[in-house]
Amino acid sequence: MEIGLLAIGAGLAVGLTALGTGMAQSRIGAAGVGAMAEMPELTGRVILLVAIPETMVILGFAVAAMILLLLGGG
Amino acid sequence: MIIPMARVVIVGHKRHLDATLQLVQRLACVHLANATEAFPGLAAYIPTAEQAETEELAYLLARLDALLALAPAPSPTPTERTAVWETEHLAQELRRDLERHAPILEALAQRRQALRNEAEVLPGYAATLTKLMRLTPILTDLTRYETVALLIHRRYRDVIPHLAEEMRRIAGERCELVADEVDADHIGALLVFPREASGPVQALLGRSQVSQITLPETLRGVPFPEAVAHIREQLRRIPEELKAIEAELARQTARHRPRWLAARAAVLRRLEQLRARSQLGETEHTFVLVGWIPRRDLPRLRAALEAEFPHGPAIEEIPTDPATMLKAPVLLENPRPAQPFQFLVQLLALPVYGTLDPTALMALFMPLFFGLMLGDVGYGLLILLIALVARTRMRASGGLRSLLDFLAMGGAWSILWGFVFGEFFGNLGHALGLHPLWRERADPEALAPLLLFTIGLGAAHVGLGLVLGVWQAWRGRHLGEFYERAGMLVGLCGLFLLIGVIARRLPAGWITPGLAVLLIGLALLIRGMGRLGLIMAPIELLSAFGNVLSYLRLAAIGLASVYLALVGNTLAGRLGSVGLGVLVAALFHSLNLAMGAFSPTIHALRLHYVEFFSKFYEQGGEPFRPYGAA
Repeated sequence: MEIGLLAIGAGLAVGLTALGTGMAQSRIGAAGVGAMAEMPELTGRVILLVAIPETMVILGFAVAAMILLLLGGG
Repeated sequence: MIIPMARVVIVGHKRHLDATLQLVQRLACVHLANATEAFPGLAAYIPTAEQAETEELAYLLARLDALLALAPAPSPTPTERTAVWETEHLAQELRRDLERHAPILEALAQRRQALRNEAEVLPGYAATLTKLMRLTPILTDLTRYETVALLIHRRYRDVIPHLAEEMRRIAGERCELVADEVDADHIGALLVFPREASGPVQALLGRSQVSQITLPETLRGVPFPEAVAHIREQLRRIPEELKAIEAELARQTARHRPRWLAARAAVLRRLEQLRARSQLGETEHTFVLVGWIPRRDLPRLRAALEAEFPHGPAIEEIPTDPATMLKAPVLLENPRPAQPFQFLVQLLALPVYGTLDPTALMALFMPLFFGLMLGDVGYGLLILLIALVARTRMRASGGLRSLLDFLAMGGAWSILWGFVFGEFFGNLGHALGLHPLWRERADPEALAPLLLFTIGLGAAHVGLGLVLGVWQAWRGRHLGEFYERAGMLVGLCGLFLLIGVIARRLPAGWITPGLAVLLIGLALLIRGMGRLGLIMAPIELLSAFGNVLSYLRLAAIGLASVYLALVGNTLAGRLGSVGLGVLVAALFHSLNLAMGAFSPTIHALRLHYVEFFSKFYEQGGEPFRPYGAA
């Protein structure tokens, strides 16, 4: 039971942050593609802006790893 | 590295202006700068005399481009010696040439366009008229009558009785309106009325907003059956005529293209010379040209000027203060293996002159990170092979070539990391006797060391960025930035010492030194940020810590790739059929390979742009665009 809860917690940590990242990226990406169509020289900056919210899901991954490794005794 | 630049001024008599601009253009090593900004008291050169020539050449260039676009260029396009256009009267010569030859091509192009239009619209007429032909038997002598064909959507059928009533009001019993369904959606209507009632009927149709079928000019007044036959005949002839026109156009343009291409190059060169004048300064008798030149090219320019004008324009280097040097244009030059990464640096923005060019560091770390994420001998081999073949076959250049070069290097690193993790298309390597040199990523026991390793790598990479930032701030005497970056570096060290103690990787005794180092770091950060630092310093430090944690993606992306490969292999193994198993495995590995080429590239790029560059990179340099290189 406890292992199951830990697994659910780890899954939520990654899943919810992935949702947040996806929502942010969808808006930034749409605006970024529009900007790139007008000014192709902004490509690098758009990649950078789209990539910024990914930190959330990576931190979610870190939390999931901590749940599994520190609490799960893996 | 950023190539060192010198700012030079060339001063000469105005009678040498044209020749000087031609010489500098030929050498293509000077980035022109505004002379009046360099010498504030100087008057700007006003190219009044050249205005008419500039406008004329711009017009001729547009006309030339339009003519050259009339027929596709043969490959390879022959070129003519450009010297034929090296004349003082380029505009007049070219205008004469175009007036002589262009009308033939333009007439052909117009005819081609007309035929294309006919090919587009005539089938529609033929179809509609064929449908309306069913209504025509009631028509007898039409010489004194006018006929209008209408196509009305079934939705608006109520307009027909209204039209009939209005027409009877206009023309009495001498008019007729017949309507019938022509297809599932449309009703065709034929209106016959005396010619003298044409005006009121047309006005009525205009008010009713129904769409008339207007026949081409040549078919007006022709009975429908004849018109349809004529259209069909015309449609049959169009492809042949079009083919003949295309062939004639190709023949004509092939005849003129080499000469016109040479003329175009000459016009562009001359326009560049004319437009360069807007950057110059002048006195009553002299012109003043200011520009940036790579320091290594300065002797070449000096020698060329002296050779061409023994007593002519003089060239001098302008002593430039550090603040102005920051505005110098930026030319990057790196050793061959690092060159592909220049493109990736420029994709973000060029560095400011006098700051660090991160290309070489990117060339080291980016393929390494890519390889670490993919970390598979099989995928690495395939990516290396595909990149090398594509590079040769596609004769790629520019950005695509840079990306392929990067993928080839990433593929090579991936093979190396593949041996470290013992992976060959996931766990297929086991069957071939491949064993990991360090840990197998799919092994749960390997997760903690792998995560720690990526965090360590991130700390080293971010730390290196901060060290470079500290050095750069010190060199530029930017004390605020110096304290900020140094504080962040020291604070991060303190933070990691404390985490090491909490995670029981360091002895408990380290807690005091750790705390002290963290506080020193925070103090330095606050010193660099001012009062705002009291709130911002801890946030900045946490943000830098987040930057280090961001390198966990090196493990995360890699794990996703390994597990996808394992799923493919396991599923294929359980299918019970060798053929089907191979097919499923190939499908999974292809998907993984495509993702393995794309995802690590984006993530490695992001780690550089966001985590690494933010610590030292000063972007916003102006690209070096030498006059004459266009």
